[in-house]
Amino acid sequence: MEKLPLRITVNGQPYELCVKPKTLLVEVIRDHLGLTGTKRGCNSGACGACTVLVNGVSVKSCSVLALQVDGAEILTVEGLAQGEKLHPLQKAFLDEGAYQCGFCTPGMLMSAKALLDENPKPTREEIREGIHGNLCRCTGYNSIVRAIAAVAEGKYEEGE
Amino acid sequence: MAYKCPVCNKVWPNTRELARHILGTGDKPHKDWIGSKGLSFADLLLMGSKGYQTLSELLEREAEKVN
Amino acid sequence: MKYVVIDTPLHNIDGPAKVTGAAQYTFDITLPNMLYGKILRSPHPHAKILNIETSKAERLIGVKAVVTGKDTLGVKQGIWRRYKELCDEEILAREKVRYIGEPVAAVAAVDEDVAEEALSLIEVEYEPLPAVFDPMEAIKEGAPQIHEGVERNINVTRHIEWGDVDEGFKQADYIREDWFKVSGQAHVCMETHCAVASFGHDGKLTVWTSTQSPYYIQVLLAWTLGLKESDVRVISRYVGGGFGSKFELDSAQFCAALLSMKLRRPVKIVLTREEEFTATKRRTPMYYYVKTGVKKDGTFVAKECRVFTDGGAYTSMGATALYLTGFFQSFPYKWPSYRYDGYRVYTNTMPSSAMRGFGAPQATFVSEVQIDMIAEDLGIDPIEIRRKNGMTPNYEVPGQATIRSCGLHQCLDKIEEWIKSRGKLPPNRGIGIAAYGFMSGGIFNWFDTPYAFSAAMVKINIDGKVDLYVGAQDMGQGANTTLSMICAEELGVRLEDIRLHTADTAVAPVDLGAWGSRETLMAGNAVKMAAAEAKRQLLEFAAAKLGPNIVYDLDIKDRWVHLVARPERGLSYYEVVRDAIRGRDGQPIIGRGHYTPHRKGMISPAYSFGVQAVEAEVDPETGKITLLNVVTAHDCGQVINPLGVRGQLEGAIAMAAGYGFTEDLPMDNGKILNPNLVDYKILRATDMPETEVIEIPTYEPEGPFGAKEAGEGLTNPTAAALANAVYNAVGVRIKELPVTAEKVLRALKEKKEGKKKEG
Repeated sequence: MEKLPLRITVNGQPYELCVKPKTLLVEVIRDHLGLTGTKRGCNSGACGACTVLVNGVSVKSCSVLALQVDGAEILTVEGLAQGEKLHPLQKAFLDEGAYQCGFCTPGMLMSAKALLDENPKPTREEIREGIHGNLCRCTGYNSIVRAIAAVAEGKYEEGE
Repeated sequence: MAYKCPVCNKVWPNTRELARHILGTGDKPHKDWIGSKGLSFADLLLMGSKGYQTLSELLEREAEKVN
Repeated sequence: MKYVVIDTPLHNIDGPAKVTGAAQYTFDITLPNMLYGKILRSPHPHAKILNIETSKAERLIGVKAVVTGKDTLGVKQGIWRRYKELCDEEILAREKVRYIGEPVAAVAAVDEDVAEEALSLIEVEYEPLPAVFDPMEAIKEGAPQIHEGVERNINVTRHIEWGDVDEGFKQADYIREDWFKVSGQAHVCMETHCAVASFGHDGKLTVWTSTQSPYYIQVLLAWTLGLKESDVRVISRYVGGGFGSKFELDSAQFCAALLSMKLRRPVKIVLTREEEFTATKRRTPMYYYVKTGVKKDGTFVAKECRVFTDGGAYTSMGATALYLTGFFQSFPYKWPSYRYDGYRVYTNTMPSSAMRGFGAPQATFVSEVQIDMIAEDLGIDPIEIRRKNGMTPNYEVPGQATIRSCGLHQCLDKIEEWIKSRGKLPPNRGIGIAAYGFMSGGIFNWFDTPYAFSAAMVKINIDGKVDLYVGAQDMGQGANTTLSMICAEELGVRLEDIRLHTADTAVAPVDLGAWGSRETLMAGNAVKMAAAEAKRQLLEFAAAKLGPNIVYDLDIKDRWVHLVARPERGLSYYEVVRDAIRGRDGQPIIGRGHYTPHRKGMISPAYSFGVQAVEAEVDPETGKITLLNVVTAHDCGQVINPLGVRGQLEGAIAMAAGYGFTEDLPMDNGKILNPNLVDYKILRATDMPETEVIEIPTYEPEGPFGAKEAGEGLTNPTAAALANAVYNAVGVRIKELPVTAEKVLRALKEKKEGKKKEG
């Protein structure tokens, strides 16, 4: 099967790759670029562990062919922190203990960022809806909701 | 008066408790002993209380009595 | 404040790695020259393997090796090593397959796609055999025999008894007999089972794997592969969930290791989500019969139960689940007489093993629902009947266990308060409660280890930083942080002074692993002992320097070595460390600790307790249940890691609520019908209600700083409390898990029809 060119920017870094047409976006991110923060939990778009942002929109990267997002800007969990500065969501997750095994955490963070970028002051209900597509077996979700709410309430504002 | 398990020699105050021990242990040697007396381990288990009673009566006759 | 480190809301030490995506799970590991493996699995629930033809697969370009049972030593392994007849499972079956999904061959290839294609080229000739899927059918005369020599498919039996139950029933004023059916459950770890195995030309095997017990995997791999234990190294630094599914040897680990041994190259096998559902293990489904006798004032007199568990195709940890369900059926109450007979029956289905709670959630559902029924029959308040019979501190379960700390009654008080505060509820809404007790690690050495159950080592370096070596495994429950906190508190330093070395059998001392909720108490005790020993050595030098009166004690708190009676007199911890190392010929300070429960009864060294109230609303048109509130009062002794405990409670509620009403594994002739995350429904963020935690502090003498377990006991009550809430909401009693909308609707219809007939 012939490979085709793919140009994407991931976490601000432009890449030029050659991929088979059936390659999934999550495979490019994890296997081609070695960014293993993004996980896979199901291969059927049901668990959200593979969530990344594509041009600012949250996308389950196991359900998208890489070539479908040719030219796009991708943000993964590795792109949240700026050098030594953690993203407010990351700080909130640490303070609330909003992770346990941590496998769903990258996907949760990306969904949370997409939610707050679109709706900076969500209600608790809207927060739950915003992470509805992300399964977590460890936390029971409430610590994650508290963390996102804390960011929304401005607890981590410091004029970044 | 107490009763000794014919398989592992553990001592029990009465045949009822000895029967419960044998059926509760359920390992090969205990199962084989029951089989050697012409009974089915599984059937005794499944009879519930009656199973313990039947085994208890057998042990009255077969188990070594100790003081 | 009593403590400097423990019981404070410190960040989990793995947090930064996890929130930045830096944490490398086995799922993420790639090695140079690595191959990818896939496993071929039986499509039949019961069949003889007549022949396996692998030559076509071997010739496929990109395939490097194909293995079958013929390439193994044919070891029937099992985790209950002490009882040879319970070691009944060959991974890679040689003669027979006993469930749909059982591994029969494995392939290593240059990528997963080629490996998958190779599977389709392997030709297996099966002779299907009659199969049986229900334990009540499998024990019948003439049912297909699943294991040679196992009459009537009765795999294990367990018997627990105290007092005179028959006499007790004679004394009882009221007797209830009920039958219940409790279901299985899938673990649904977010990281599926996976392993990267690398066997080198030096004859040593290294396996990176997602596991709850690197030690068990090390020993079981050595056994099944004919290697020396110490030539096997297992590494498991970050694990994406376990919940009981990951401390036995699994097909990914075994097949990857076998392939690697053949090829002398690393081989990685990751189970798909579908394999995770169909070819791992599950919570044990059970048929429960309970007969209970009480006095008319609600005092418990006698209880008898008989349980048949659906064991699936192999023993696994099913023997433990059988025992624990029988033991915890009596919890948390004082029963003057009690009798339990449990039978584990083989069926041609996926093996049933350990899952968080380990037979106790099943037992608690049965017991707590029946107690509500008895309370209603006798017109007694459900809290009152539990209060009347609840365990108290220092109670002895005759011949079985001694309860030391027990905060059950305070829990009942708090829940009663909360229920009163809710006032009168609107229609179709109800509050149900359930009480529980659970073990902090098990006593019985069924694995037959010669080692202490937990061990730890503490090494203090010249800069005062501490290296802590523990074999205890963190699978998300927070053991890394909890144990580091215990070390820091005991030694008198801060959490950030501890550097943890764990999850590597070549580096860390043996620990049995994270199951049975044992790490906080057992590994915690080992850590505390090691830290105390290191501290003792430091205090020798401090005493020499400070020269206090002999009657004074020295201690270290927050890096300050001081006289306990006169804390202003002291030295910097750093100064003492430097003196101590110099004074011992340049040797770092090393303390060692270990813990194995001795003379602590039959089950566990300590028990946690709690009471949970679930407020739920039922839609009478559809039967749909909505969780509104869950309030839990619980006693885990001294809380060590408060953020961790809260997280464990909330996670436990989500998992146990799923067990209660949304999760099920329906099967058709041994085939699981919903092996995916859409049709198997775990709770999502929108399903989860607000939760409230009420800590009831007690002090458990057996636990480190008085601590007991938290993470597993908290999964016990929710299914029962939910079922009781449904009854209180709409008046229908469901005695079969899960309590689905369909069952509720059907029961409501029957109730209406029944009323019509009467009217």
